[in-house]
Amino acid sequence: MRIVVAYKYAPDPQEATVASDGTLDFSRAKAIVSDYDAVAIEYGRQLADAQGAALVGVSVGGEAAAKPVATKAALARGLDEVVVVSDPELDGAGSTRTAQAIAAVVKELGDVELVLAGDSSMDVGARMVPSVLAGLLGWPMLSDVEKVTLADGSVSVERLVSEGVQSITAAAPAVVSLTSEAVKTKAPGMKDLLAAGKKPVAVKSLADSGLVAVSEGTVTARAKLDGPARKGVVIDTSDPAAAAAELVNALRAAGVLG
Amino acid sequence: MSTYVLVAGNAGVSELVAAAAKLDGPVVAVVVGADEVVRAVAAPGVDKIVWLGDPGDRAVEAFAADVAKVVAADPGVVFAGRKPAERALLGAVAAAISAPVVTMPVEIAAGQVTRAIAGGIASETRSYAGPVAIVSDGGAPLTGGGSTSVEQAAASPAEVTVTDLRPNEVAAADLGTADRVVSVGRGLKAKEDLAIIEALATAFKAELGCSRPVAEGLDWVARDRYVGISGQQISPQVYLAVGISGQLQHMSGCRGAQLIVSINTDKDAPIVAESDYILTGDLYTLVPALTAALG
Ligand SMILES: Cc1cc2nc3c(=O)[nH]c(=O)nc-3n(C[C@H](O)[C@H](O)[C@H](O)COP(=O)(O)OP(=O)(O)OC[C@H]3O[C@@H](n4cnc5c(N)ncnc54)[C@H](O)[C@@H]3O)c2cc1C
Repeated sequence: MRIVVAYKYAPDPQEATVASDGTLDFSRAKAIVSDYDAVAIEYGRQLADAQGAALVGVSVGGEAAAKPVATKAALARGLDEVVVVSDPELDGAGSTRTAQAIAAVVKELGDVELVLAGDSSMDVGARMVPSVLAGLLGWPMLSDVEKVTLADGSVSVERLVSEGVQSITAAAPAVVSLTSEAVKTKAPGMKDLLAAGKKPVAVKSLADSGLVAVSEGTVTARAKLDGPARKGVVIDTSDPAAAAAELVNALRAAGVLG
Repeated sequence: MSTYVLVAGNAGVSELVAAAAKLDGPVVAVVVGADEVVRAVAAPGVDKIVWLGDPGDRAVEAFAADVAKVVAADPGVVFAGRKPAERALLGAVAAAISAPVVTMPVEIAAGQVTRAIAGGIASETRSYAGPVAIVSDGGAPLTGGGSTSVEQAAASPAEVTVTDLRPNEVAAADLGTADRVVSVGRGLKAKEDLAIIEALATAFKAELGCSRPVAEGLDWVARDRYVGISGQQISPQVYLAVGISGQLQHMSGCRGAQLIVSINTDKDAPIVAESDYILTGDLYTLVPALTAALG
């Protein structure tokens, strides 16, 4: 049996800068295994150990996703092997294109009981790849999951929905995306990194995956979004009571004190 | 060609119907839900409802393939809200009709969508030859009153069964309609200290919000109160951020506020650059002082 973890190797958007014409520059942003995907890998490791299953990472991206530094970072977190679909065409790919590439790998792998995903990617955060993937595979989609149990061809989960904690049982295989806190992660140690270097990595191009990827439209304009201009008034806080009074006066003058 | 709005067990899709009505063709709501949901969705602006039935014990997600089949018979632009079941249905549709997904739309026209990217610091406009699948805020519930035709369609839901629901102890929050929000971050040292933040919110006649780690991980505040790219996206008159650093993912949920006030010990925290009023200092002295000044 295989458990797949879909993960993204992504730049930290906090370090992204935007030029006045709306072009984004991620060159200063360090890429890592996206925060919440690390949660999915850790969770998958524990589940795979309990089931005696193999834990396979599947990632989709541009050339950076297939670099040894990227695959090692993911493997060091506990995957047994990774398959990367890496192609310049997939750099910044949208949810549907990404899910199509993951689905192609999952189908080829076979014997997959569960695909785990993180809550959202740190750079885009669309939260749609797992849902499109489930649609492509024809498997149930269960998001916001805190706990997964695999037994006798079924997947049972506890998930956080707005009404409370919902328990669901579905026929396996299924696609499950976890909450950001489903399990605590730990930074990989030196031993994990050394072991990662010896684990199998398969790299496929878009052509190898046999995929005719969805068209993602044509960019016709970009702009910097400034949001409302902010006043940037620094209130002297050396006397807290006076600072509070000054803020209250300013808010009252703006007519926003209900 | 129809434009579709997906309804996943609740009628909170008014914003989506309004956006769909601006595009060509009839607006078709594909509904998985009880009959009261169908009655509510039969509202002005919705030309037709295709009803796949009441899920009963099944999760709405069980109907994903059925919903996809309805849209695939006559593909068009599809809208869905940001809730889990809505996303699951939309994903299945995008898969079935091979449509790109668009999140955080800013402006939607026939064949063209502008969306916010990188947490809202930039926007990008794309033109599309075919249909797109759009995720956006659902909005207030519809309340019926339309001359909408209802067609019942056969469904063969997957085996996805809800076996239990442990309801939240606290009532659901609605930050979206609040004029004032006091939001707390990891600058707070202990759960007990929430009392001083709640006192401020009361004095300020504000709803309580928070950053994601305070709701998930620390579990100090209900999950539907965290603000950000994955949480609530709000535009109150005043957003008062206490002990919140202002990471991109947080700011994309509150950047629409008319005024942002920050209380933070770090004068270089990212939120400072996005604030109208900046109080640099310890929340443990500034928050009680502010509560007193408002009282
Ligand atoms: C994919 C993804 C999605 C995410 N989505 C969201 C989201 O929707 N919403 C969200 O909020 N976050 C989200 N995050 C997390 C986000 O990146 C930040 O980690 C989070 O917002 C930080 O929360 P914080 O500001 O409370 O904590 P911190 O970043 O730890 O900041 C705490 C702040 O408190 C200040 N402080 C400390 N002590 C005091 C004191 N005594 N008085 C005053 N100030 C003090 C510090 O100077 C600091 O600025 C997401 C992350 C990822 C990867």
